[in-house]
Amino acid sequence: MMLMPPFTLHHPGSIEQAVSIASDLMSKGEEFDWVAGGTDVLPNYKWRINPKPHVISLAKIPEANQVTPYEIGCMTKLSTLKEENGIHPLIAEAASKIASSLIRKSATVGGNLCLDTRCFWYNQSEDWRRSIDWCHKADCGTGADCRVIPNQNTLCVATYQGDLAPNFMALGAQVTLIGPEGERTIALSEFYQLDGMKKNVLLPGEFMLKVTLPKDSFDYTGSYQKLRVRESWDFPEAGVSAVWKKGDYSTLRIASTALESIPKTHEEQVSPLAAAWQKGTSLSELSDAVRKSVKPVNNTALPPNYRKSVVRILTKRALKNIGCE
Amino acid sequence: MSAGYRQQPGNSSSKRKDGKRVAGKQVFPPPGSGGSRPVMEPRDLNFIPESVGGKEPQPAGSHIHDRIRTGTVVGKSLQLVDSNAKVTGQAWYGDDVRLPNETIGKILRSPHHYAKIKSIDTSKVEALPGVISVATGKDAPHHFGVLPVTKDEHAMAVEKVRHMGDLVACVCAETEAIAIEALSLFEIEWELLEPVFDRKKGLEDVDEPIHWRGKYHLSKTNVQKRVFQEFGDRSLVDNPHASSHGKWSMEGVHHGFTEPHAVVAHWDANGRLQLYTPQQVPHYTHRALSTVLDVPMHQINVVRTFVGGGFGGKSDPFPHEMCAAILARKSGRPVRITFDREEVYWINRGRHPSDIEVKMTADDVGRISGFDIDALIDGGGFASFGHVTSYYNGVLATAPYELGSFHYTGARVWTNKPASGAMRGHGAVNTRCAVEVGLDEMAEQMNVDPIDLRLANLLPPHSRTITGFRITSNGMRDALEKVREGSNWDEKFRQMPLGKGIGVGCGFFISGSGLPIHWDPNRFPHATVHIQVDMDGGVTVHTGAADIGQGSTTAVAQVVAEVLALPIEMIHVRSHESDTSPVDLGSYSSRVTFMNANAAIRAALEIREQILKAAWDILGYHPNTLVLNDRRIYYKHDPSIGVSYLKALHKAQEDKGSLIASGAYRSPPMGGVHKGAAAGLAPAYSFSAYVAEVDVDVELGLVKCTNVWAAHDCGKALNPLAVKGQIIGSCHMGLGQVLSEKMVYGRTGHLQNANLLEYKIPSVHEMPHVEPIIIESCDPEGPFGAKEAGEGPLLPILPAVVNAVYDAIGVRYRDLPLTPDIVYKGIERKRKSMKLDDCLELPSPKLQHGPMQAELVARAAEHKLRDKARQRTEDTSHYVNGVLFGFDPNMPLEDQVDGWRMATEPDPEQLAELGLAGRAWLKKTQREMGDDS
Repeated sequence: MMLMPPFTLHHPGSIEQAVSIASDLMSKGEEFDWVAGGTDVLPNYKWRINPKPHVISLAKIPEANQVTPYEIGCMTKLSTLKEENGIHPLIAEAASKIASSLIRKSATVGGNLCLDTRCFWYNQSEDWRRSIDWCHKADCGTGADCRVIPNQNTLCVATYQGDLAPNFMALGAQVTLIGPEGERTIALSEFYQLDGMKKNVLLPGEFMLKVTLPKDSFDYTGSYQKLRVRESWDFPEAGVSAVWKKGDYSTLRIASTALESIPKTHEEQVSPLAAAWQKGTSLSELSDAVRKSVKPVNNTALPPNYRKSVVRILTKRALKNIGCE
Repeated sequence: MSAGYRQQPGNSSSKRKDGKRVAGKQVFPPPGSGGSRPVMEPRDLNFIPESVGGKEPQPAGSHIHDRIRTGTVVGKSLQLVDSNAKVTGQAWYGDDVRLPNETIGKILRSPHHYAKIKSIDTSKVEALPGVISVATGKDAPHHFGVLPVTKDEHAMAVEKVRHMGDLVACVCAETEAIAIEALSLFEIEWELLEPVFDRKKGLEDVDEPIHWRGKYHLSKTNVQKRVFQEFGDRSLVDNPHASSHGKWSMEGVHHGFTEPHAVVAHWDANGRLQLYTPQQVPHYTHRALSTVLDVPMHQINVVRTFVGGGFGGKSDPFPHEMCAAILARKSGRPVRITFDREEVYWINRGRHPSDIEVKMTADDVGRISGFDIDALIDGGGFASFGHVTSYYNGVLATAPYELGSFHYTGARVWTNKPASGAMRGHGAVNTRCAVEVGLDEMAEQMNVDPIDLRLANLLPPHSRTITGFRITSNGMRDALEKVREGSNWDEKFRQMPLGKGIGVGCGFFISGSGLPIHWDPNRFPHATVHIQVDMDGGVTVHTGAADIGQGSTTAVAQVVAEVLALPIEMIHVRSHESDTSPVDLGSYSSRVTFMNANAAIRAALEIREQILKAAWDILGYHPNTLVLNDRRIYYKHDPSIGVSYLKALHKAQEDKGSLIASGAYRSPPMGGVHKGAAAGLAPAYSFSAYVAEVDVDVELGLVKCTNVWAAHDCGKALNPLAVKGQIIGSCHMGLGQVLSEKMVYGRTGHLQNANLLEYKIPSVHEMPHVEPIIIESCDPEGPFGAKEAGEGPLLPILPAVVNAVYDAIGVRYRDLPLTPDIVYKGIERKRKSMKLDDCLELPSPKLQHGPMQAELVARAAEHKLRDKARQRTEDTSHYVNGVLFGFDPNMPLEDQVDGWRMATEPDPEQLAELGLAGRAWLKKTQREMGDDS
C-alpha cells in the first residue's frame, strides 16, 4: 500500500467559497488541485505524481451536483449517467464502459473530462521516475527530456484517455468554467489544448462546473467504439464516437479519444465526404481518413501502429451502428 | 472383561410421557463432543467404496485406503475449513499482525539496473528524528537462496545491485512517513556497470557477469544453468511423415496474488526471533534466517500468517524477511514491512520469459518419433528456483505421449531484471504450450483429428516415460474423451465459421517433488504430521503444511476426519508456527495433498488403532470386526453392540492421558541415475485435457475465450468443490498468460507495468464459462487415491486457446500473450499473403480426414482396452516408453536398439547443430579453461 502524501482538504459549500479559497491560496503562492471523485487525482498523489499541499473538493457545491438531461454538473457520478435518469443514450453508453462499476460509483463527469493525460513513463512511482531521470511532464526541475520521443521537450505527448469527451464533443456539448476571473461557457471541443501538460484551457483557479448539451442533442443517435484489452478497468486504447440525425449526412460528426494528448473532432475528414455521400465507398474512405488523421505514440498498453490501424475499424463500426453506411 | 453392553442405536421409538427411559431400552447417550448433533449419523454408503461393500463406484479399481474409508467426508464437497475466517475478515494476513510498540520498516531500492556500491553513508538517515535503526548489506554478509545449490542472494546488496529495485539498505522508524523520508537521506556512491537485459546476450561473454561461480562459471557468460538431455532412437527422426517446427517467444508473467508481501519481526524477551510472514514454505525461511542472522534454528519461530495467494510467488526465503529481522534485532522493537504493489513486481519470482524452439516429427503410422526442445529462459538477477526450472522446461514435456526420441537443451541466464522463479505449473507451462500446438500442427499435416492423434500415442498407466519417470495412475485418456464429448468436439472442430474456433490441449504435471530439496529422502521423510486427541475428544493436528488458499488445511482435516469417522468440526489443524509444527517442506510442486495427507492418514491410523483397541477391551470384539462410524464404534454383525467414540477414547487414555501419534510420508525409491534424473521425478503425476472455444474479432484481433471444458485427473477428489475451484482458478490464471498478461520491459530495461492496471489480469468479463470435469484414476500411493489439482490444470488452457485461435482464423501464433496487436498483425500478414481486400474474407481451416485417421482411431481403441486393464492392475506387465515402437519392455532399450541413446552432455559433433539455448554448450567452464580457483 502506498502512503498518501499529506495535504489540506478544503470543502467549499458554494461556488463563491470555492473561488475565494482558490484565490486566497493563489495569492499566498500555495499550489492546489481540484478534486471531484478523486479516482484520478488521488492515485496519482499516492504515486507522488505532482501532489499539492492543498486540495479543494467540489463535492459540496450544489450547482456541481445538479443533473438534468441537458445540464450535467461536474460532480455527477458516472454511475448515474444512465438512460433511465434521462441521460442521452450515447453518454450513458460511453459512461457504462468507463473503468469498473466500483470506480464509476466515485468517478465524476468533471473528473473524466479533466482527466490527467497518461503515459507509461509518467504514471509510475517516484522511485521509478527518478531512476529514468524524470521526464518532460514531471521533470522535478531538471528540464528532463520527453521519454516517448527523445530529443524533444517542447510538447508533452502523454495521452488523453477519457471516454466521455469524444461523445460530448460529437453531440456539441459546451462546458461552463468558473474561476476568479468569472464564468465562461465554451464548446467542449475548444476546451482541450494540444499539450499533455497543459491539457486544457482552464486558467489558474478555474474549474469546470457543468456540461451543457444543445437542445437538439436528443435528435442525434450515436455510437461509441472503445478499444481496450479488458472489458473492465482499462482506459481506452482508442475510442471513436459517431453521431448524426438519422439519415441526414450533413449532421454527421465524429470524434476520437485516447489517440493523442487531446480528444478531437474530425470535421475536416467528415465534411467533404458527408457533402456527397456515396453508399459503401464513403464509409471506408471516411474510416480511412479518420485513421490517417490521428497520431498515437508509444505510451499506452498497445503499440501505436496498431492503435492507429484499428481506428479505421472503430470508425466503420461506429458509423454502421448508427445506420450510416 | 465384560462382553460389552447392549444398547439400541438411535432414539427409542416408544417414549414415556414423564421423559424417563423405557425399561430395557437404553437411550443412546450423546456421543463424543458432537455438541448440537447428539445422534449418530448413519454410514453414508454412497461415499464408501464398492470394494469394501459401499456404493461408491470405482471404475479405476480399488485402493489400499479403501478399508479405512468411513464415508464421513472424503469425496464430499465441503467448504474450506478456513473460509469463514476469510469471508468474515477475521483471517490475519501478513500486514494484519500488529505488535505493541511496532516500528515501520522501509527498503531502499536500487535506482540502477546494474552497479557496484562503492560506499553508503547512513549518517544523515540516522540523524533524522524518528528513525530507530538502519541496516545495510554489511549487517548481513551471509548469502542464502531457496535451493542449496544456488545460494546467491543477500538480505541487502553486499557488493553490487543486480536489478532495478534490488535491495540496498533498510530503515525502521516511528512512522511510515518518517521511514519514507529517511530513504531519501542515504548517500550512495555508485559505479555503474553495463547491464544485460536480452536473454540471448546472456549467453555471451561479458566483462562482469552478474554472479560469479568460480571454477564452475561458464566462461564469462551469464549462464546460470545449462542442461542437455538426449534419450531414445534418433534415427526415428529421419524422413518424418509430418513435422512441426516452432519458435516461440513468451513474455514473463507474474503470479498477481492479492496480498502483497508483508513481514513482522520481533525478538522476544528471551531473545528468540518471532517472524510473521505469509509464506508458502516457512521452513526455507526458517533455514535462511538461521544462516543469515547466525542464530540457531531453534531460536527462531516462523509464524505463517494466512496467505493471500501465493502461486509460487511466496515460496522463496525473501530478503525483506531478513531485513525485518535485522532491523528488529538492532532496534529491540518489532518491525513491520509491507510491500506496495511495485515492490511485489520487483521481487517477482514469476514465470520465466522464454524463447522456446520445438521440433516434432511423426512417422508414417502417426507415432511421435522426435521431440526436440530448446528453451532459453530469462532468470533475471537471481537463481531462485531456476536450477529446477531449467530442467522442468524439457523433462515435464516427456509425457503423456510415448516418444521415439527426446532431445532437450536448456539454459537459464541471469539478466539485470527482477528474478524469475517458480509459478503455478513451474517450468512446464511454456513448453507444454509449444508442444501441444506442435501436435495440432502435425495432426493437420496428417489430416487427422488432433484428439485422435493424442489418443493413439498415450503412455498407459503403470509405465515409464522416456527419461525414466514412473507413471502410476493415468487418467489422460478418460480426460480427453470427456472433453471431446462435453464440448461436442466432433461437430465443431474445423467446422465453425471464420472467427469461431475450438482447440484442444493436454497437460502433465508432478504431484509432489520426489526429492526433498534439503535432505536425502532416505534420512528424513518428506512430511510429518502429529495428532493429539485429548479428553474432550477434539483432534488437534499439527502440520507444517502451508495453506495458501488451496485448501491444504482442509485436506488434512478431511483425511483425519475420514479415518476417525469424526465430524470435520472436531478436527483442528494447527499449522501456523514452526514451534508447534513438525518440519514440512511447504506448499510447492503440488506436494501438499499427496504427501501431507498421506502423513496425516498414517498418524490418524495410529490413533484409530488405539481407539479400536480400547473398544475391543470394552466390547470384547476384535478390531477387525468393529466398524468405526460417526462418533461410535460398533460390532460389524450387530450394530446394536457398540460404544461411543468418547467412551472408547477415555478408555484408551486411561494409562497415558491424551493420545499422541505421528505419521510421516516418504516417496518410494524411483527414477533413473543419469544427471538430472531427479528433476521432475514425482511419486505420481496428474493429467489434464482441455477444450477451449474462442471468438476472435477478426478485424480488431481481440480474442475472447467463451467456453472451456476442463478435465483434470486428480486421482480422487477428496473435496470436489475445492478441485473445481482449482480448475476454474487455473483456467483464469492460464488465460491471463495466453491472452493479456506480460511483464513489459521498455527500451531502458525498466519494468513498465508494475501495477494491476497495466499488468492485465483478466477481469470477470474475460472469464469463460468453465465446465470442470473431475477424472478419478485412483492413484495407488495417493491419500485415498488423490493426486494434485493445484497446478496441472493450468497447463492445457494455453495451447487449447492458441489452437482454438488457429481453428477460428487459420493463423498460428507463437508469441504469447495473444494481445490484440499480435493477433491483428498475424491476420494482416495472412490477408496480404492471400491478396485479400478484407480480412473477413479469410478462409477458416477445414479438415478432410486422411487415410491415417482410421488407423489412429483403431490404435486408440486398442490402447483403451490396454489402459483399462493396466489401470485396474489386471495387467501388471512392464511397460516402458518405446513399446509402441516395438521394443521389449523387459530388456534395456539400449541393448535392443543400436542407436538408443541416453546422454546428458552433447557429443562434440552435435555442438554445431544445437539450438539457441544449446549454444551454452559451446562454452567451457572456468575449470576446463584452467582456472581451478
